[in-house]
Amino acid sequence: MSTTSTLNAASSADRGPPAWTRWLDLGDRALAVVLLAPAAILLALIIVYPVLRLGYTSFFSLSLTSGLPAEFVGLENYSLMLEDPVFWETTWNTVLITLITVPGALLVGLALALLANLPFGVQWPVRLSLLIPWALPLSFAGLIFAWFFHSEYGVVNDVLNRLGFEGIIWFNSPNWAFAAICLTIIWKTSSFMALIILAGLQTIPRSLYEAADVDGAGRVRQFFEITLPLLKPSIVVALIFRTITALQTFDIPYMMTGGGPGTSTATLAMYIHQNTVSFLDLGYGSALAVVMFALSMCVTAVYLRAIRTKE
Amino acid sequence: MSAVANPGFSSLLSGRPLRFIAGGALIINGMFPALWILFTSLKTEAELTAKPITWIPHAPTLSNYMQAFSDQPLHLFLFNSFMVALLSTCLTLLVSVLAAYALARLNLRYRGLILSLIIAVSTFPLVTLLVPLFEIMRTLNLLNTWIALVLPYTVLSLPVCTLMLVSFFEGIPRDLENAAMIDGCTRMGALFKVVVPLCAPGVFTAGILAFVNAWDEFLLALSFNSNPSLRTLPVGIQLYQGEFAFPWPVISAALVVGIVPVAVLIVIFQERVVSGLTAGGIKG
Repeated sequence: MSTTSTLNAASSADRGPPAWTRWLDLGDRALAVVLLAPAAILLALIIVYPVLRLGYTSFFSLSLTSGLPAEFVGLENYSLMLEDPVFWETTWNTVLITLITVPGALLVGLALALLANLPFGVQWPVRLSLLIPWALPLSFAGLIFAWFFHSEYGVVNDVLNRLGFEGIIWFNSPNWAFAAICLTIIWKTSSFMALIILAGLQTIPRSLYEAADVDGAGRVRQFFEITLPLLKPSIVVALIFRTITALQTFDIPYMMTGGGPGTSTATLAMYIHQNTVSFLDLGYGSALAVVMFALSMCVTAVYLRAIRTKE
Repeated sequence: MSAVANPGFSSLLSGRPLRFIAGGALIINGMFPALWILFTSLKTEAELTAKPITWIPHAPTLSNYMQAFSDQPLHLFLFNSFMVALLSTCLTLLVSVLAAYALARLNLRYRGLILSLIIAVSTFPLVTLLVPLFEIMRTLNLLNTWIALVLPYTVLSLPVCTLMLVSFFEGIPRDLENAAMIDGCTRMGALFKVVVPLCAPGVFTAGILAFVNAWDEFLLALSFNSNPSLRTLPVGIQLYQGEFAFPWPVISAALVVGIVPVAVLIVIFQERVVSGLTAGGIKG
């Protein structure tokens, strides 16, 4: 680094930069502080302070509709929560959506990636078919699939009818509504999985397969002994990201069913939103959010550990 | 079976007709929903409620598009979405370029710790901050402004963009910067005149990711803006639903209008988006 600083000194000696920029010619440490400051300030304002405030508010009874000032109630919000059947129902729905759609998206994504890795003459239509579902807003996907699953004019029931089955009234039954939501989420998220896995597939050297061919290993065995193990790092990262976003599921059920029938398809994020924005019960909403925060921090911890062992 | 050109599973499907089917399946999976919405948006109400349902519209009409713009201020929704996405993209890029430069070039003592923190933040569930952010925006009188969305959206994309840019910056030889500094540039001058232009593709990709993230966000936009004239597209699109009626052709037309801008972006820059997504995904 000493060469850089001599160069710096030399340059300011002969025809140095305009004086007003001189203050930026700081030492490495001071410069680092200046450069990292904007990011740090934003993170402090939008993440760190809100997290602290979230924990704090969860110990208060604070409802904007009552007009009463905030009152410290200790763990009351949490004990209310434990007795609240809707909390348990929405949490269970969230966990179930995660358990169904994450492996679902992984399997579909893996299949899509293997198909997309075929030696196509023209690449762009394939690439585009994976990018469009990714770029489509979740809320749009929810609306589009609500129309897909429409009981009378939906294309899904039309196809079922053509195949000789009865149409299903998807959004009147909790189970069918839940299935429709999970299918939509899997469709929407599998493309991103596929893109990540496809990038992993393309880094696997062909010579490995050629060697396996020489050794007489079959295709299926090659897939399980070469392809899958080498894909593991990219799959792990994609899985963890997907798990964290699955825990936050909001847009798709909100648009498709609004949580109905009843609260049978509502997620924890929807319940937080309802308590906060509709009921303006900030104390209770905060306690709910703390639970979701804890859930996703567990997943993040697993993630950081996975990355460390990878290195 | 002796061909070695197509590795793994691929060779099971290497025949031409099978490849054709595979490509067809991929394209139908990716495009059919968008295509279906396009078809719906071109149908008349009468055709829509005819049984059995038609797939390709018999008498395509653009009247649903007219109605989409006249029933709700769709142009305002588009404008709000565009401005919020653009402002947060610019802010994200500025902040992440500075941070990424520090992480890539300065020998920081806590570099590893900072990178881990950034990765942790990238997994952060913004939903959980709905209450405190709502309170903060309310206290600062920022509810019903673009800023209430621009700031959280910036933080949403900041980690991924920073990590991407760090890896791009590390690919630029230090000699180029040093040469610029000998020519009288300050370090910041070298960053913006040498490093950023050389990394233009990377910066651009980061920008597209930030833009799409902001364009897609729904929950915060729904919660922080109750003023109809400030609604973004995902929030505005719900307003077409009447209490009892769901005018699907009009909703579809509005959806198509909302999909087109991002679709154009994706079509033009698809290769960069793919490389950026996978770099961001694998590294963080």
